[in-house]
Amino acid sequence: MAYAYLFKYIIIGDTGVGKSCLLLQFTDKRFQPVHDLTIGVEFGARMITIDGKQIKLQIWDTAGQEAFRSITRSYYRGAAGALLVYDITRRDTFNHLTTWLEDARQHSNSNMVIMLIGNKSDLESRREVKKEEGEAFAREHGLVFMETSAKTAANVEEAFINTAKEIYEKIQEGVFDINNEANGIKIGPQHSTAGGASGAGGAGAGGAAGGGCC
Amino acid sequence: MLSRFSDVLQTAADVLAPPATRLEDFEYHWKMILNFYQNYDENNKLHVEETRIPHHLHQMLQLIVDEEKEQQGGTVGPCMEAIVQRSICLLDALCALAAAERPPGARALALTTGTALLRRTRQPCVNSAHVYRPLQRMLIQCNENPASPTEKEEVELLLTLCGLVRKEPGLANIFTTPFVEDKSTLLSIPEDIQKLIPIRSKIQTPKKNPLFEVELPPNPLRNVSIIRTGKDDCNATSSSSADDNASCKSQKTVYDDNDKFLLIDLLLSYLNSADNQVVLRACEGIMIVSSLPEDDIANLVTSCSPACETIVHKLAAKYRAIPANVDPSDVDHLNITWAYVAQDFGDKSYSKFHGYRDLTSFFSWLDYCDTLMKECHPIIASHLSRTFRQNFLEGAAESGLTDLHHAVLVTAILAKCLKVIDSPDLINEFSNWLVGEGEVSEWPLLLALVNNCLTDNHDLTLETLRFFETIIEKGTEHSIRRVVLARVAARGYCAAPPAADDDERDRLNDLSIGREREYNREAMKQLQHEDHVNEQITDILAHEGLEPGLRPGDDNIHRVINSFLLLLPRAILSDPVGADYEHYIHDAHRRYQYWLDATSTFNWPADYNGVDTTASSTHSYDSRPEADIHLDEAFEPIKLEQKDPKQFSQRLVLRSRDLTSQSSQNEEEFDEGIFFKMIFKLLANMPSQPYQVNLHLTSIISQLALLPHPNLHEYLLNPMLPTAKKTPTLFKTLQEVARRLTMEIPRLRNYKKIIENTRLWLMSEDPSYDENADHNQLVESLIVLEEFCKELAAIAFVKYQHTLHMQRPQCGLKLFE
Repeated sequence: MAYAYLFKYIIIGDTGVGKSCLLLQFTDKRFQPVHDLTIGVEFGARMITIDGKQIKLQIWDTAGQEAFRSITRSYYRGAAGALLVYDITRRDTFNHLTTWLEDARQHSNSNMVIMLIGNKSDLESRREVKKEEGEAFAREHGLVFMETSAKTAANVEEAFINTAKEIYEKIQEGVFDINNEANGIKIGPQHSTAGGASGAGGAGAGGAAGGGCC
Repeated sequence: MLSRFSDVLQTAADVLAPPATRLEDFEYHWKMILNFYQNYDENNKLHVEETRIPHHLHQMLQLIVDEEKEQQGGTVGPCMEAIVQRSICLLDALCALAAAERPPGARALALTTGTALLRRTRQPCVNSAHVYRPLQRMLIQCNENPASPTEKEEVELLLTLCGLVRKEPGLANIFTTPFVEDKSTLLSIPEDIQKLIPIRSKIQTPKKNPLFEVELPPNPLRNVSIIRTGKDDCNATSSSSADDNASCKSQKTVYDDNDKFLLIDLLLSYLNSADNQVVLRACEGIMIVSSLPEDDIANLVTSCSPACETIVHKLAAKYRAIPANVDPSDVDHLNITWAYVAQDFGDKSYSKFHGYRDLTSFFSWLDYCDTLMKECHPIIASHLSRTFRQNFLEGAAESGLTDLHHAVLVTAILAKCLKVIDSPDLINEFSNWLVGEGEVSEWPLLLALVNNCLTDNHDLTLETLRFFETIIEKGTEHSIRRVVLARVAARGYCAAPPAADDDERDRLNDLSIGREREYNREAMKQLQHEDHVNEQITDILAHEGLEPGLRPGDDNIHRVINSFLLLLPRAILSDPVGADYEHYIHDAHRRYQYWLDATSTFNWPADYNGVDTTASSTHSYDSRPEADIHLDEAFEPIKLEQKDPKQFSQRLVLRSRDLTSQSSQNEEEFDEGIFFKMIFKLLANMPSQPYQVNLHLTSIISQLALLPHPNLHEYLLNPMLPTAKKTPTLFKTLQEVARRLTMEIPRLRNYKKIIENTRLWLMSEDPSYDENADHNQLVESLIVLEEFCKELAAIAFVKYQHTLHMQRPQCGLKLFE
């Protein structure tokens, strides 16, 4: 199916916070209480509409366990957006956010949009992390924040779509170089005619434009 | 009332016929499966999904998951115990189902059920022979048919086992020689199972399976395990079959030639799948196992499996598959991440230009190799990088660099390879391949590259210069020494100073202009221009707090900057105002910081080395005002001044004349080496070379000028450096070019207008300009040179500024006296 843009996402966070369930809820609109441990990375895709444009989201759901971090790291590079998920009923998953964020910032491109998600909001009675704490963490690190429930589907659509909106805005502002696929963005087939080879020669600025070592 | 009544009824019913226990349920489903197969009609064409088999298997799985939730302290519940004891041989049955593929679809079902059992339970008891043997058998039997329709399920099960091994490394033992049974056992179904499930296996004897090319020993040493786990995990399960517990066997560290690591071997066989998702899974599995911290497993991977060789062989094959007529300029724009390519390849529109898919396939595999090397055990990384050099660089790529028909594309691809790799091992091997090791003075490959720069083929020159740019950007201490520093390390370029105290300006500017200066209006303008440039420099220096007269060094930096900025006479400048110094300073600052970080671990001197580089030579300090500082610090345990390469200084620039005495004894003619010879030759030839070549050439030189090495710094950035007449330097070469341009450009008709237009075009970065035939190479080279001078001035300034910041205030003053 034709799309205007394709965005690549990753979902990261501790094991058992509901990453795979969020993906399943978003792509299949269902909740599966028993879920297999993710080893390596699972994949899902869905089409959404922003600003009247069809946008294809390709989502990679990563393994939360430390043992598989070597693989997860391969996916940071080349993702346009990341959903960083914790479980509001498990304080430790919230405490590990800093490590996840550092890992993500170190290995991803600097423009990657990161959405912080407190999942399992349906389990209010077992809540260990206050909503305000999530908000404060997001504010401090410049993330967008949302509480979701993969079980009731509350805010799940919004989480994925708002991340896409944020990326879309960055494209409009010219922050993302859409011709560089390493940014996790692809222009749809019907749009690609405009994107010729433009970086032929950094003229004028002499040798200064040539090097670009960093 | 009613509910109370039904409760009573239920209680009564429970007394008469208590509800089935979980184990009874488990046995019930098991019997239903066996019943199905006892009555199975081979002619039945029903798909397995249309039978009750999936339901019963699912229920059995669910019972195991449920019972595990109630188990305390790591014990195993009765259902799992039944499997471990083989009183219910579920896994053997799955293996038989997979082998028979009856009813159709049974194999995929058996594989996914096995995978689900391993992934859904916290303790799948893989240690137990009654669990791992059927799994092994299933994997090997399925693997007999390459490109089978169940590849996905097979590799998924393998990956799951990798995941378990990652969490409990001792489990790797069940995939090594002593535990992998001989071929005939692995390819047959145990007799009791054949009776329980009486269907004929579809698996035939293997035709040619590499897994069995090595004959396994007839009597495997049952009590030897290759992986030592450090901790005793025998008691991890309550399994009574402890003597089969794989991770508890005694140890063995010497490998036989016949030793195999089945897990990796199986994974490797899926790398050739046509399904990218399957390949991706196999890649993930290899990465998971390779990244284990256990030395034993790393040794197994390198010694008992062809993993590294297979991976590099695949890279070489993908390299060879790149069509020879790919446009080299397409190569540089690729940005490939291995993990995402599997998905992208499914997209049929995934082709942007000729050869795109082949290039993508190659570079994504390179990215995988690179990522694997970053993540894996150091033993594997070093083996893999050596294999990479031998089997890819030397075996596949090297000959292409000297093959005139392919050299341009090969150079472009190799330059891109070096540019994208990130693993230190790989960068090291790559660099050593390029520059050579040991004391070989002229490494053939480096010589070949230098010669490629000097051909008449501008495309080859351009691509090779790009390659050199990357070689320097990705430089290791060794490679930078070999390519760049080898000849300047002894300061052989220094010579007796020329006749002293000649007017700086006369020396720097063309003499003919000096003569004309008195007569014409242009000379007035030139003078005004020089004043203007001087003012600008003073402004910039003042802005940075470096006012002339405040420190003697500031006057010197003023002269250095002046030399570069006044190299070309005003009359032919395209931008006499020079408004973008700030931009160059900003850029130089950023890049210099990069180099300081990148070379922070290099053992580079903080101060220039004279002819004597040994610590014993102290005489070189004698003539220096700062000698006292060094001597004081010599008695301290850490000599910051000398150890910190960031602390190099520009003292030489400032005091070059005092220092020449010490190296003037070097009477021999200075040989700048093949690399600098090439650079200076191309530089001198700037007016006759295409714009792009000049752009990359100056970019290389500016990178070199940024390197925080004192000798290289003075050799490139000190216009006042006293040298022998024949010794080529950057500044002398630039003067030569400037002289030629000053002579030739005014001869062009309407040259001012041409200069103005060319500048506008170049600045507009209009791609149509490249195709436009109306180029004036001469004027283009003028503009490159003009901007290059600004850049060099900015670099000199930024490095000077940095030196000042690094020095303590009281010290700083002293050093520049």
